[in-house]
Amino acid sequence: MNSPTESPLIQRPADLDKLLIDDVSNGQFKVHRDLYRDPALFELELKHVFEANWVFLAHETQIPQPHDYLNIHIARQPVLLMRDGDGNLGAFLNICPHKSALVCQNESGNKKFHVCPYHGWTFNSAGENKLIKDRPQGQYTPDFDSQSHGLTRLASFENYRGFLFGSLNPDVEPLVDYLDGIHHFLDMIVDQSPDGAEIIPGRSYYTFDANWKMQLENCVDAYHLTSTHPSFMTITASRASGGSEFRNIDIADFVNPDVPAGNYTFRNGHTAIWIDGNPEVKPLYAQYDELVARVGKVKADLMMKTVNFTVFPNLQFSVNACIQMRVMKPLEVDKTEMRSFCVGPKGEPKELRKQRIHQFEDFFNPTGLATPDDSKVYESVQYGLAAHSASASALGHERGITNVIQGPDDYALELGLNPVTSSSGGSELQDETVFHASYREIVGRMKAGVAQELDHAE
Amino acid sequence: MQNDQALTIGTNILHQQGRMLDEQRWDDWLNLFTEECEYWVPAWTSETRLTQDPDSEVSLIYYDLRSRLADRVWRVGSGQSVANDPMPRTCHFVSNVNVDECSDSLIKLFSCFRVDYHVNKKSDAFFGHYHHELTPAADGKGWRISKQKIIMMNDYIPTMMDFYLV
Repeated sequence: MNSPTESPLIQRPADLDKLLIDDVSNGQFKVHRDLYRDPALFELELKHVFEANWVFLAHETQIPQPHDYLNIHIARQPVLLMRDGDGNLGAFLNICPHKSALVCQNESGNKKFHVCPYHGWTFNSAGENKLIKDRPQGQYTPDFDSQSHGLTRLASFENYRGFLFGSLNPDVEPLVDYLDGIHHFLDMIVDQSPDGAEIIPGRSYYTFDANWKMQLENCVDAYHLTSTHPSFMTITASRASGGSEFRNIDIADFVNPDVPAGNYTFRNGHTAIWIDGNPEVKPLYAQYDELVARVGKVKADLMMKTVNFTVFPNLQFSVNACIQMRVMKPLEVDKTEMRSFCVGPKGEPKELRKQRIHQFEDFFNPTGLATPDDSKVYESVQYGLAAHSASASALGHERGITNVIQGPDDYALELGLNPVTSSSGGSELQDETVFHASYREIVGRMKAGVAQELDHAE
Repeated sequence: MQNDQALTIGTNILHQQGRMLDEQRWDDWLNLFTEECEYWVPAWTSETRLTQDPDSEVSLIYYDLRSRLADRVWRVGSGQSVANDPMPRTCHFVSNVNVDECSDSLIKLFSCFRVDYHVNKKSDAFFGHYHHELTPAADGKGWRISKQKIIMMNDYIPTMMDFYLV
């Protein structure tokens, strides 16, 4: 029989019960350490979280022209994203159907044809096979000759307002349904300009030696800001009289009972947090009146807040002075690859774009003044989580547990959101219940996946 | 200004810079730069293309004032940044120094660098090319760095990178 994993300890859905103690009404939400350190559980995550449902691939402005391509991945599968000659987007496995060599070796570029370097099979930018070298002499069967031999299309591929998602699974819900309420937050990025959003050229790639869920949590973790980033706070405060491109958010606002803050969770593991304050440091602030006129005051005011959100499982945005888009790729149970991009509204005036770029570099780059502290802390947590003498679960998911409510709060209703849970109050709460939704999704998908494989095996 | 003379001046400054960073003599290091210096580590946009314009494309690091570099120096010693605690031990190597242009008011240099570093029981390295512009010091004593462009070849960054690692 095919076992769901190689581990003798994980053969039935019940074997995964220990991973999550989910009893919020009695003040408990505990994630087992093994979910961060057990390679067998990591395999299940890749299979049932990343390879079985929607994941983010890229933004369409990364491949703007006909025949542009981008070489990316869904977990362990190499994916080639291309625009054909008519500009239509397509997503394929970047694997030659002949011998499985990578058809495209380069990170990005523009090509009408991709020639496999091994035996020369050739594919156009629509993924069609245009040449099988020496085919007439090949003594192939009529059956072989009747097949198309093109690149394998991803089973599912959709575009939500420029954000491209794919899945290896054909049986996924329509993307807009999968996104649930988090699409309002993607809208908030897109609607900052009447022409939409764009990725600004110049990306950074980095890795950290820790489980991907450190990053998953950190993006919506308001509690770490004052203790992990005090050097950033001090520098930006001392620069307040300096040039605007080097001003930034004031993290002191993130622990202030008079500064409103809150968070929402949605179906499928998506999460978002928001905090008021500092709109004047944003390049977007100059457009405020135009935004109110175009999208209404409620949405324009949301754009003026600090908003961080996760489109589960691998896409994150941090919107403070500027906008960062992060893409997570788990490599091993204790190693993660990050791709970081600066996002801006199309048509932004030159001076504001300059301000946005330098604010981004300062805070978000792995060569900047804040992200290195996060990455270093993740590695420290991973080290501590590996300790078998410690308790089965760490405590980091219960702050705010008596404040969280089911359904929308008043601000959610104002925004037109219907979240699964809401938690709001002064920013000093620095809630941790926002993480729950992603963990419920991860463990839920793993259990469902194991159960399904057992059904197939019997 | 003769080419040989420029080569000697330039090589000396590059060697001094590496040693000051390795010895964490931050104030001495800052004093190698002019007040309005440009310090630029462009990012790659693909395997072959670097960002060209720091104001319309994202760099890994970009500053056009020495005081911004001083902020980073402060951060390293502040005790408020876990990324710099413990500090990596570093070893800067600079070689292949070429004089691209020289006059009494400007020296342009190309060179190769490698910075080996060790922290938390692990060793790694960053390497690439330096492009420097030197101008005579305002007080007439020697030369200062007015532009430092660092092209980092291995930009798949393990955990973090900071000014003392390139």
